[in-house]
Amino acid sequence: MIEIVVLLVREFPFAFFGSMMVGMLCAFVGVTIVAKRVVFLGAVLTQVSVLGLTLTFLPFFPLPHTIGSLLVTLVTVMILSQLLTGKKIPRDAVLGVVFASSVAFRILFMQKAARVDVAEVENLLRGDILFVTPDLFYVMVGAFVIVLGANLLFFKEFAYVAFDSETAATQGFHSRAWDLAFYLLAGGAIAVATHMVGDLLVFGFLVLPPVAAMLLMRSVKMIFLLSVIIGVVSPVIGLILAFHFDVPSSPAIVAVSFLILAFAWVANLVRTR
Amino acid sequence: MQQPLIEFDNVALGYGKRVIQQGITFTICQGEYLGLVGPNGAGKTTILRAILGTISPLQGQIRLGSLRGSLPRFGYVPQRETLDAVLPYSAEEVVMMGRYRSLGLIRRPGSGDQAIVGKSLDHVDALNLRGFPFKDLSGGQKQRVLIARALAMHPDLLVLDEPTNGMDLSSRLAILDLISRLHRETSLTVIMVSHLLDDVANHVKRLAVVEPGLFQIGNVEEILTDANLSSMYGMPVEVTKVRGRTVILSGGGKEHD
Repeated sequence: MIEIVVLLVREFPFAFFGSMMVGMLCAFVGVTIVAKRVVFLGAVLTQVSVLGLTLTFLPFFPLPHTIGSLLVTLVTVMILSQLLTGKKIPRDAVLGVVFASSVAFRILFMQKAARVDVAEVENLLRGDILFVTPDLFYVMVGAFVIVLGANLLFFKEFAYVAFDSETAATQGFHSRAWDLAFYLLAGGAIAVATHMVGDLLVFGFLVLPPVAAMLLMRSVKMIFLLSVIIGVVSPVIGLILAFHFDVPSSPAIVAVSFLILAFAWVANLVRTR
Repeated sequence: MQQPLIEFDNVALGYGKRVIQQGITFTICQGEYLGLVGPNGAGKTTILRAILGTISPLQGQIRLGSLRGSLPRFGYVPQRETLDAVLPYSAEEVVMMGRYRSLGLIRRPGSGDQAIVGKSLDHVDALNLRGFPFKDLSGGQKQRVLIARALAMHPDLLVLDEPTNGMDLSSRLAILDLISRLHRETSLTVIMVSHLLDDVANHVKRLAVVEPGLFQIGNVEEILTDANLSSMYGMPVEVTKVRGRTVILSGGGKEHD
């Protein structure tokens, strides 16, 4: 096992440390996403970022992949922040519309991506973590520092608005602005992370570690801490297993997260009996 | 004459082009205990939001009085059903949220804030709950914690939205007694919204009745008369006293006497 870890660090350092960084960041942001009951938004944003990535293969959107993905995701967050407060269409219906259309347009645009063949685009969209480039890794480092830093600096403001936006507003906190700031940060993290490791891994990290931590921990700080630890540990174990059993790395990492969640569920069941 | 804290001057309130209440004129002075009652959907929460400054009037003016050279501070207690606590914030952490405004951006709570939180919990007889997850508390306990959070804001006005909603009788009375005690002991100005006329009738000194398109305010004795309530609710209503407490009987109340 140690040999596999040494091999991974030597041969695929960006994949190894990059997936740990994505796991840490998404597992941290995911706690608030799960607490706000907007998990579906996480799924939607991963698909929107993939759509943004696809668009960069088209001649009329000639931006670097990460910039394109980031731009489309952040614009979508801004639009959703307006649409999700309306009362005419239920919130999950709005998200469903964006989800379905993002996937559909991605497929359509992919067919028209003349610059490269479909297999290459698919490969990039799937986010093969073993082929993370140094450039992408450093972009992820930037996103990691900005998103995690802002979340830690303004932890109490984000927490207050997520818990009780109405009272926060009476105290002078601009609840909608804080909400938008959180979603923009989360959207930014999701866009960069999806480009790097793919939608499956990002969505998995957004949901599985936070839920496992919520089952095991009884204080909010410990939930964030354990979620981040699971986010770091899962890719390490997942990559080792993927190498050992010669299986794809992303599903292996998500499977590890799921097993940790299953253990947490059983432990919680035993404890509450 | 007490210092006016809030003045509504011919105010119209609503959302977008929809007017919910208009022609509202009243003053809330320091040290008052005002009840805002009316059925669901009549516009109580809209008036409350205007008092709190989270919505602006469509017409007219809302003036805030000056206390110690600054605007009055509000301690707001929301309807606890609106709080969807997924994370297990402890009662202490919830009360600490009341300190966040004073702390400002980025700064973390210090020992002074911890002391204020402890004192606020103690004030509502909930110090023993400080380590418990808020989401696991009973309705009455949650309400005490939310009142403690409002007190931690060092408010000039305590504003409570349906504080007894969904509670059993003993919890309801305990919360109403607690609010009355806070008002009495600290001369705190209190505004309490409720759709339960009985709840507020025996505790507040002034009463505002909000009905769709109608707003009436006065002393409890002026508002709670048979004729006034019958005409307001469009059915026979009797106001009577049982062991010194005001009881409101609606419909066929008299026949049961």
